Amino acid sequence: MALIEIDDLHVSVADREILKGVSLAIDAGTTHAIMGPNGTGKSTLSNVIAGREGYDVTKGSITFNGKNLFDMAADERARAGIFLAFQYPVEIPGVSTSAFLKTAINARRRAAGEPEIDAMEFLKLVKSKTKALGIPDDMIKRPLNVGFSGGEKKRAEVLQMSLLEPRFAVLDETDSGLDIDALKVVADGVNALRDKERAFLVITHYQRLLNYIVPDFVHVLSGGRIVASGGKELAAKLEAEGYAQFQSAA
Amino acid sequence: MTIVTARPGLLSHPFGERYAARIGALPGAPHAWVDGLRQSARAILGAQGLPGPKSEAWKFTSAVDLAKTPFIPANLADDIDVVDVPHNVPRIEGAVRIVTVNGIVRRDLSDAFDKIDGVSVLSLREALAAAHETLKAVIGGLASPGAYPMAAVNTAYMADGFVIQVAKNVQTTRLHLISIGAAGAEPVSFHPRSVIGVAAGGNVALVETHVGLPGHSYFSNPVTEAVVGQGGVLKRYVMVDEDADAFHGSVSAVSLAARATYEDFRLCLGGRKVRQDIVVNLEGEGGNAQIHGAYALARSDHADISTFIDHAVPCCTSAQEFKGVVAGKSHAVFQGRIRVAKDAQKTNATQSHKGLFLNPGPVIDCKPELEIFADDVQCAHGAATGEVDEGQLFYLMSRGIDPDTARGLLIAGFVEGATEKISDEPVRAAFVGAIETWLKRRLAEAVAL
Repeated sequence: MALIEIDDLHVSVADREILKGVSLAIDAGTTHAIMGPNGTGKSTLSNVIAGREGYDVTKGSITFNGKNLFDMAADERARAGIFLAFQYPVEIPGVSTSAFLKTAINARRRAAGEPEIDAMEFLKLVKSKTKALGIPDDMIKRPLNVGFSGGEKKRAEVLQMSLLEPRFAVLDETDSGLDIDALKVVADGVNALRDKERAFLVITHYQRLLNYIVPDFVHVLSGGRIVASGGKELAAKLEAEGYAQFQSAA
Repeated sequence: MTIVTARPGLLSHPFGERYAARIGALPGAPHAWVDGLRQSARAILGAQGLPGPKSEAWKFTSAVDLAKTPFIPANLADDIDVVDVPHNVPRIEGAVRIVTVNGIVRRDLSDAFDKIDGVSVLSLREALAAAHETLKAVIGGLASPGAYPMAAVNTAYMADGFVIQVAKNVQTTRLHLISIGAAGAEPVSFHPRSVIGVAAGGNVALVETHVGLPGHSYFSNPVTEAVVGQGGVLKRYVMVDEDADAFHGSVSAVSLAARATYEDFRLCLGGRKVRQDIVVNLEGEGGNAQIHGAYALARSDHADISTFIDHAVPCCTSAQEFKGVVAGKSHAVFQGRIRVAKDAQKTNATQSHKGLFLNPGPVIDCKPELEIFADDVQCAHGAATGEVDEGQLFYLMSRGIDPDTARGLLIAGFVEGATEKISDEPVRAAFVGAIETWLKRRLAEAVAL
């Protein structure tokens, strides 16, 4: 059984249908990429997986680890192992990054029946991850995402991902706003988490990120449907030939 | 005997007959200059009464219940039975504590304050007896009884308070002035008057905490006038956490010389009716007024902050940032007036107010007033009210944090974030602690909707 199974998903926003029957099965241990032109429903798909409100699922289902995802609120999904790396991480003034991280880690631990993390263990854990991601120590003392540069925000997303150790992570345009060095750091952070138990869905407009996070499967989302699927070579083809062929098909 | 007959549309009030018997016993009575001030304040009170519903400056804060409460003047003796300061008064690291009960200085509850290096602290009564030079020069000149009704009541009946003089080039000293309200069977009023002088290059931080004994009904009416000399720094951090049945009406009026700085932070955590007027006159080039604050209100608390920043000369800066949360049936008011005189070129004045509703019951009123007569100025103002941001809430929930905890984090972050404007770290920490205590106490009842 696939870790996550999206079946004939139809989603409307304000009575406009954005996703028009998306089906996708992702096995544990695999990385899928969804590519596509702007405005085609890529972010809608990631928000619906993560459980954001304001999206009407008019038809179809998403099953995660055998459970109906739509029975769970956003926080329950996260505690069950779903993670969304945001395209635009939200700034939260007044809430320090470290206090937030600790609260999030403990929420997941409590759900798993594990004891809460103590202060020393927390600091050690965070330090081991920030070092690999090139995150300066003072960043976690600052208010969450406030005044972070584009690159810092994306690194902070990957930091959260490595601390929360999700089963299934969606990376929504994680490459946007990153220079090549930051892109490599972020990709290394993601690759370090890849293993037999986990799955990833990388959503991107450009092929560039897929040179560093090499997917097992690539899908083209256009006009609210998956119009083509293939291996990693499909990404290169898209980069060379563009999306026009699929847009006319859709 | 003073008989108060208010003009139509204005409110008659209790500060008349029953207070008349007190007048002769008030400190400073023998001095003509003090008596003159009091007489003219009483005349203004007699003619104007308290502001009625048509008063523009008080349009969001009704003085009706204040005017209708039959206050009696608080005892002038320092013998009210209070053995310790209430638990909601924070400990401020490194601060000398000075306690007043019903406005009367209580040495028995205070740290010694006679020998602080470079800072002289006298009670108003001592200073009046000595005809203190700064007191005489400053009192009545900044907090005008004609413009500020709370200053009129105070000037007529002021009984004690402080005169604080900071010597030239003195480095930061921290004082913590604690006001405790304690009524007997009848509601009492008290009218502390303080004058602060900071000499050129002097630097002082004054923390004020205004609290009351639980269940007591009182009217705390402090007025403070301050003059800051060239390059001097006055920091005032004022926490008002009055009892649910208590009134608080204050005026702070500050004059800044060239390159002087006034930093003011208000934290208001409750009171039946709280009105704080903050007036800053920028009178020397390079002056800097940082006027900020936060509030967290529940119950039927009502808190009003009304500021008036007067840029009289060029090249001064003023910044105002207020943030607060309202729950229950509370009511928050922010009125921010900025005047930039014709010659006050190169003025930089900003103002912002943000309010957060925790439930649908409360009211927030906000009124910016910008009067700009100069042309080469930078002025910006903004105001926003709303509920907890859906995008922020989703972000936290998407990390596994349950919605109640997420809301709590956002609310605490919103209010506590305002304290970043407090430059004095021990005070900031103490105020954050006070906010956290408030949130623990009130948030459960506010969020459970």
